[in-house]
Amino acid sequence: MRKNSNNIGQAIILAAGEGQRLSPLTASCPKVMLPLGGKPILQHVIEALVQNGIRRLLIVVGYHREQIQDYFGSGNDFGAEIRYVIQERQLGTAHALKQAQDLAEERFIILSGDNIVSSEAIRDLLDMDELAVLGKKVIDKNMLGRGLVQIKEGKVHQITEDILPSTEGLINTGIYVMDREIFNYIGTELDLPRVITGMIEQGKIVSCRETTNRWFDVIHHPDLLSLNNIVLQDLTASLGGVIETCNAIKGKVSIGKGTTIRANCYIIGPVSIGDNCEIGPDVCILPSTSIGNNTVIAPFTILKNSLIFNNVNIGYNSTVEDSIISSGTIIRGHFTAYSGRTTRYIEGLGQKEIEMGAVIGNDCMIEDGINIRPGVSVGNCSSIKAVKIINENIPDGSIVI
Amino acid sequence: MCGIIGYVGYRDARPILLNSLKRLEYRGYDSFGIAIDNGHIAIFKDVGVVANSEGEIPLVKGKIGIGHTRWATHGVVNKINAHPHTDCHNRIAVVHNGVIENFQQLKESLLAEGHNFVSDTDTEVIPHLIEKYYTGDLEYAVGKALEYLTGTYAIIVMAKDCPYLIAARRGSPLIIGRDDKQNFIASDVTAVLDYTNRVIYIDDNEICRVSQEELKVCRNKKVIIKEESTIPWTVEETQKSGYAHFMLKEIHEQPKALENTFRGLISSIEPEINVISRQSKDSDILLLGCGTSYHAALVGEYLFNKLCHMVVRIKTSSEFNSCNMALNKTEVIGITQSGETADTLAALKKARNLGCRTIAITNVPESSVTRVAENVFYTRAGIEIGVAATKTFLAQLLSLYLLAVSYDSLDVRTRQDLINEMRMLPAKVQQVINSERAIASHAQSISNSDNVFFIARGINFAIALEGALKLKEISYIHAEAYSAGELKHGPLALIGPKTPVVAIVPQDDTYSMMLTSIKEIKARNAPILALADESDRTIGQFVDHTIYIPQIDTLFSPFLNTVALQLLAYYVAIERNCSIDRPVNLAKCVTVP
Repeated sequence: MRKNSNNIGQAIILAAGEGQRLSPLTASCPKVMLPLGGKPILQHVIEALVQNGIRRLLIVVGYHREQIQDYFGSGNDFGAEIRYVIQERQLGTAHALKQAQDLAEERFIILSGDNIVSSEAIRDLLDMDELAVLGKKVIDKNMLGRGLVQIKEGKVHQITEDILPSTEGLINTGIYVMDREIFNYIGTELDLPRVITGMIEQGKIVSCRETTNRWFDVIHHPDLLSLNNIVLQDLTASLGGVIETCNAIKGKVSIGKGTTIRANCYIIGPVSIGDNCEIGPDVCILPSTSIGNNTVIAPFTILKNSLIFNNVNIGYNSTVEDSIISSGTIIRGHFTAYSGRTTRYIEGLGQKEIEMGAVIGNDCMIEDGINIRPGVSVGNCSSIKAVKIINENIPDGSIVI
Repeated sequence: MCGIIGYVGYRDARPILLNSLKRLEYRGYDSFGIAIDNGHIAIFKDVGVVANSEGEIPLVKGKIGIGHTRWATHGVVNKINAHPHTDCHNRIAVVHNGVIENFQQLKESLLAEGHNFVSDTDTEVIPHLIEKYYTGDLEYAVGKALEYLTGTYAIIVMAKDCPYLIAARRGSPLIIGRDDKQNFIASDVTAVLDYTNRVIYIDDNEICRVSQEELKVCRNKKVIIKEESTIPWTVEETQKSGYAHFMLKEIHEQPKALENTFRGLISSIEPEINVISRQSKDSDILLLGCGTSYHAALVGEYLFNKLCHMVVRIKTSSEFNSCNMALNKTEVIGITQSGETADTLAALKKARNLGCRTIAITNVPESSVTRVAENVFYTRAGIEIGVAATKTFLAQLLSLYLLAVSYDSLDVRTRQDLINEMRMLPAKVQQVINSERAIASHAQSISNSDNVFFIARGINFAIALEGALKLKEISYIHAEAYSAGELKHGPLALIGPKTPVVAIVPQDDTYSMMLTSIKEIKARNAPILALADESDRTIGQFVDHTIYIPQIDTLFSPFLNTVALQLLAYYVAIERNCSIDRPVNLAKCVTVP
């Protein structure tokens, strides 16, 4: 654990948003709580902060705030002291920050709770003595939904919101070091980039630090799978629970307490399995799969590169590839969600070709013998009766007879 | 029914005592007091909760002290009756939790000997009795005084210029928190968790001498060695994590509490649950509990009947204690959240003396009940601070289901179905919690009423009772629950436009009869709020408001309906601006009979 050089001890984490583009997964779970590599996205952020000695956390919560509070509590379990600030209506990032005004310290770091950031990337910014923004080179065109930091003579000139791919500059990561003065500039402005541009126009100097370390935004479903892949690389192997004989467990695998792995399972890491699960017998789990708590995977099922949330039940003889299954969903036997190329409309990017399996919302009831085509999503609380091929998206609360 | 705390160590006692008293306020909070030795015994007492008068408490320096938070049993609530109580010369101070039954006789004889009493409490006889035998050896004097006391107590005694505290227990809880160069004495671990998680549980008839460095525990005048436990709870669990009230936080913790309670006990492959095996095939069951625990017992009665086809009887613990029930090959299951409920402890002792096998269901490891009952099942709900029981009730229910399934002689298939259903409970309960806002929006339909009725049939009748109890406890609205079948035998006379009725209408074999009752009520123009299955498309035309509950096997519907009614009671109390975590006249754990 190291202390950062300029003594910032507080972070303000913006975690009030919904994350509509990730629907149906975000209908009852805020984006920051979506699990990647066995932990909510926000936990990755908090751990990166704590590793930099930043332990006093103000989390601005709103959409389904109770889930954040239930999970993180007072922060004790995460080595942090957490206070919660409520943003009743999610009007914008500056508005969110304003809610934290009363509890903010003299200097603090601002971050979004729904981006994956490494402790090294945060350290890069903390090395700066003045007000600063963390920027990142464009590597992935999918990231172009975000604003750009435009630099003139070594200092930030402005932070734009919408940009053309040809514009020069660094992507704005939304991570800033600021002091209390920023509250004087918010006024009725709702978005932070505009507030900061306003500060610069009025003569404040803001620098930009480029990081080459890990920072990613999570925007669309395929991002969840690719980021799960990335964070699983940092997994610490640990085998809790009961592991019966004749199991092959290779690579980095983490198994939570109270979990039972029955005989003849084949698990190849990186794989993260939560607490209180029952896996097998005869289950095959292939790399980059994360499974939440209290989940049952029945015999002869194969999982590959998938995200399975809490309280899920997947029946026997099923195949789940490149797919996401949200909490509380029950899937009976002979289920197939296979991977393939498909075109999908993605907001801001138009029709795009993606490669993935299915996305299934929370608390669905899927009966035996269902086959779901690549890229199809099933809305929350839907019910699908036995033996069918699902070719197109199903809205929330549907009953497919 | 009170909370006590003692500190001896290297730090200033004042802030430690006050902080610990705040932690103990769930045990009682109508008045409090502290005593600190700073050359003489300085005492401060006040009426109300600690936070209200914290600023007025003088900054007394001293490294040894005692404190008390009171829930009045003998004597009205005022400063004089608040503890600590002292002897005639202010040399000895005592805090006490429990009831001294023979205090009248003792007081008369002490008065006759010239002792000067100032309060109406039973406790005050203790310092005077100690004074009578005190010649510099406090340990001897306390031991001598205790010989004369009948009743229950956990006491902490301090004396002027004495470097140690004496604590003793008979029938009321007492623990010692250990740390380097400082020791704590308290009613329960919550009071000391801020400072240490190393705890020693004191048993009945033990006397402890606690100094900064040393702890000596005696029983029958012989020194005994006590084992130290490490408490897995963290202080975090005693904080609110962003919620306005502990109750709401605890409602939200219910999916986790359920998961923790069945963790390691159920399997999707092997349809066996090994909780506590049944003693003999022809035994019958008696379920005992008080308040919310009694409601859990009522659900248990239905369950054991339905699944195990056993003879099941049920009583509130206090009624069992005052009747002569015939017990023959009976297994007695006592349910108590705290493990300290006096009535249930007495009932289990009585059953055991009658030769019955006893099983306790409790949430608190090492609590008194675990020493009274032969078998113990722990609900692993975590610490519960809100006075209105929420997550511990759900965990109690689940433990009864686990017991029933492990007792029953069902076929393998049905048993496996039940187990699978049980595993999905956390997710289903979470779904109800997710509809919190919808439930809250119905609070207004009730919050302006003076009387509310709850009706249900079958297994959910107990949940109607529990829903009414929650509403009473925290919103102070008069609420009654009736079996819907009983309505026309009396209560219907009270129903009219100003008495809203909450009806639990699951999609089971009670449905059509519930609809009949609802129509009877509607004919008297009473507003109806129904808890109905989400697939129910017809209920809307008969009732004014509907809370939709996720589909679930009827046998498990009590879990979901309970959560909906907890949230309803909570938001009604919010509308009425009530003190939710500390309802007037109630305390978390009732250690007086």
